[in-house]
Amino acid sequence: MADLLFELGVEELPAHSVPNILGQIRDLFQSKLEQNFMAFDRIDASATNRRLMIYINEISEETAIRSETVLGPTKKIALDEKGEPKIPLRKFLEFNQVKLADVVEIETPKGIYMGVVKVIEGKKTEDLIGPLAVEVLGEVNFPKAMVWNDSRVPFLRPIRNILLLFKNQPVDIVFAGVKSSDVVSGHPLLSFDPIKVYSFRDYFEGLQKNFVMIREEERKQKILGEIAEIEEELDANVRIDDEILEYFVYSNEYPVVFSGRFNSKYLTLPPEVIAAFMINEKKLLPVYDRNGNLNPFFVGVSNIPDENRNVSRGNERVIQATFEDAQFFWNTDIKDDFRSLRELLKNVVFQKELGSYYDKSERLVGLVDFMAGETKNFHLRDKLLTAAALCKNDLLTRMVREFPVTQGIMGGLYLRQAGEAETVWKAVYGHYQPKGFGDEKLDDVGAGLLSIADRIDNITGFVSLGIKISSSKDPYGIRRDANAIIKIIIDFELNFDLTPLIRLAAANFAKNDLELGKTCHVLHELFRARIESTFKDNLKFRHDVVQSVLAGQWLSVHEIHLRAIAVSRMVETASIEQLIALHKRVRNIIRDFPTFPFSEELLTEKAEKILFDIFKESKPAIVDMILRSDYLKAGLAILEMKPVIDRFFVDVLIMAKDESIKKNRIALLQRIDELLSKIADFTSIIEINTGE
Amino acid sequence: MSLQSIIMKLQEYWSEKGCYIASGYDGEVGAGTMTPDTFFRVLGRKPWRVAYWQPSRRPDDGRYGENPNRVQKHNQFQVIIKPIPADGQTLYLDSLVYLGVDIRSHDIKFDEDNWASPSLGAWGVGWQVMCDGMEITQFTYFQQAGGIELNPCSLEITYGLERLAMFLDARNNIYELEWGNGVPYFDLRFEEERQFSIYNFEQASIDLLRGAFRLYQQEADRLIEQNLYLPAFDYVLKCSHFFNIMDARKAISVAERTSLMGMMRGLSGRIAQKYVEATGGKEGVDHG
Repeated sequence: MADLLFELGVEELPAHSVPNILGQIRDLFQSKLEQNFMAFDRIDASATNRRLMIYINEISEETAIRSETVLGPTKKIALDEKGEPKIPLRKFLEFNQVKLADVVEIETPKGIYMGVVKVIEGKKTEDLIGPLAVEVLGEVNFPKAMVWNDSRVPFLRPIRNILLLFKNQPVDIVFAGVKSSDVVSGHPLLSFDPIKVYSFRDYFEGLQKNFVMIREEERKQKILGEIAEIEEELDANVRIDDEILEYFVYSNEYPVVFSGRFNSKYLTLPPEVIAAFMINEKKLLPVYDRNGNLNPFFVGVSNIPDENRNVSRGNERVIQATFEDAQFFWNTDIKDDFRSLRELLKNVVFQKELGSYYDKSERLVGLVDFMAGETKNFHLRDKLLTAAALCKNDLLTRMVREFPVTQGIMGGLYLRQAGEAETVWKAVYGHYQPKGFGDEKLDDVGAGLLSIADRIDNITGFVSLGIKISSSKDPYGIRRDANAIIKIIIDFELNFDLTPLIRLAAANFAKNDLELGKTCHVLHELFRARIESTFKDNLKFRHDVVQSVLAGQWLSVHEIHLRAIAVSRMVETASIEQLIALHKRVRNIIRDFPTFPFSEELLTEKAEKILFDIFKESKPAIVDMILRSDYLKAGLAILEMKPVIDRFFVDVLIMAKDESIKKNRIALLQRIDELLSKIADFTSIIEINTGE
Repeated sequence: MSLQSIIMKLQEYWSEKGCYIASGYDGEVGAGTMTPDTFFRVLGRKPWRVAYWQPSRRPDDGRYGENPNRVQKHNQFQVIIKPIPADGQTLYLDSLVYLGVDIRSHDIKFDEDNWASPSLGAWGVGWQVMCDGMEITQFTYFQQAGGIELNPCSLEITYGLERLAMFLDARNNIYELEWGNGVPYFDLRFEEERQFSIYNFEQASIDLLRGAFRLYQQEADRLIEQNLYLPAFDYVLKCSHFFNIMDARKAISVAERTSLMGMMRGLSGRIAQKYVEATGGKEGVDHG
């Protein structure tokens, strides 16, 4: 059985880049195997920050035999009357090195062509595998690459070793000046000699013996398991987020969890500052007691067993120094009058064409003023104006200048220290949150409103500068900002129309109405796309459900969300099929017509009179349900009219000869469609047969 | 282990590995990278191996002698190897072993930390080397200096000597270190830290610094025109140091920062060009 084992030995890759690069290499191997017509069973990929491993089993030893059709000129111009080839065909024969006898007629949708069918023999995989691996390595992309030797081939970090075995035999290749070998290295500190590899099994056993856990999942489970043990031991909670867990998983080949403690005198610093310093500066995890209070302990992950407690003690010394720094910055900053820093923001550029941070804070004041009203949070208004004015002051503090990751949090804490009201400091504290859909709900609506204001200001500013985003490029985090806005609206059930807010924010940058219109349009498209994506990917709504609620005009993200929930509920019941059928039938008829006026006097047939009576009777209640956002009930209420509507379709000839009667009947259906569309465009729901 | 023993051991080790042992630069610099033995010698094609002890000033890091780990003047040990050796990491780990570190019982990590000096038009890719959570070394593959793409690239290893000594001696406080032969670090340095912190943060005359900065800048500019790129570089370093003091004094606005940095980058770029032009033949600079 032919199999391939590949390991790229590198100097320490940045932890966060490892999954991406491994993914690229795996995908490149897969596509190159497919392009070369090599069959295989499956691709196994694993990595640490020092090695990227690919194992592919059951690769065909020869590439598939296949035929390839090569089209030449059309039959019309290929041959003369005597059946001799004319110039285009002669050129074709020459170019493809085939004889006239090999040429056949080939039918295509465009007519009959002359051409040949070439049989391509299988090639030995063995001969292709080396060049293929070199191609793979050459096509990996990096955000920032480096060179380190005469080959001047860029990679993320220096490549030091390439293992390439095919059918357990070394394959010779050279990439970036590095020759392939049949050895790999073990753990950087615990293993010295190179490990000779004869097979995939050897590889695994060799790594295991030399303190390398190649499987990400094993490393992760080891880390989580050992953290759980420490939690038990200390009767405490260790908070670990995905980002730092990934860092641990990809920074250690043999992860070992250790713990340590620090002097509790530092607990007088705000717990947020302590936690931020531990996590961001020292990659250590804070430990909390069962009531959520910070304990003077930390947990970290080492790349070696810590039998002599060297690692733990070393980190204890380091964390103390870090807290000393934090203490110094805190004490220095609180000497200043925090509120008066705002004046100095005039010298701090937000974005060259978008003014200073002072200008930004002015804009934020205007935006939160408007939002406090729109979201009926009048009681918060004055406090939010203060928060908006002061929320960027912390950019001038030593703490934030030194540790930008603490921005916002520090502003909030310094305002609290300066005696500001809770509404004010909490709004500033949380206004860079949430970072993503995975984050918890903010615990303060004021922070949510200020966060929306800050982000809508970012987005409209950057969009008005003509900055565009693509699937791979979003340097200003426009997408992230829009997602956060959507999340906040949903979390706090903020029922307001996004359009006026967008207009207000965009008006701060637009030079004229044309520009204003343009920015608003881009933002509308952006939000539609972000709603579509976050509803589907983060909130796990069905794609067609999202389509159905986004089909018409939409104004409030919160409404869209409620409608998506209601339609999802309907989709789980049998009522959805009837609603789909009803809406499709109505749409099919009205599709080609403009909106007509309706007049009760023009009703002639019994069935349409009954339909109108029922419609007239139920409509106010349904509209009321819709206004109260009770979309589920509204849908069911419309469905109650279905028998009468069905009767109408059977008994009444809609396309009546009398034009005014015909238009009137269409108008009646248009009103029903209007009502349905207030909930969703049910025609875009895909029916799933759940029956036999 | 005392600081002087560490310096001597590192000199021995790197001398053994073929480095010329230089003296540190005799003016204020923020880092060993900024000295002529690094800045100029990483340019051009000529191989270069140098190691030296370099006192370095970071006015903003002053803590009045009150922080156990941060000082406005610390000591670096700088190593440049050009071209980059294939076994650079091993050479480095072996130097720790030479200092007596049992590398099998300490968590030594190469943690992503790319380096850039905007005022020197220089950047590199690499790591901070963490030892049981303490940053003891900066390990960098130089890619560009003076705005010039390097070919070949150099390996730069910068040991933080106090950090290394604290690690080797298991000290919690920098002032508990011993410089050598019984001379305490505290006696040599504490008062200096206290006074310079007051100077850097409170007393430095902003007008004087700003005025001197302009004069140094003009002098550098003039000297470059005279092809005296070595003295010109001295003046850029003086600018850089005065910039750092003004920054510690919070006397530089964000807009001004950008413009002053750009100015220093411009000067060091021209100086690098002059050096390359002047030494092109002799050093085999690749003009292609």
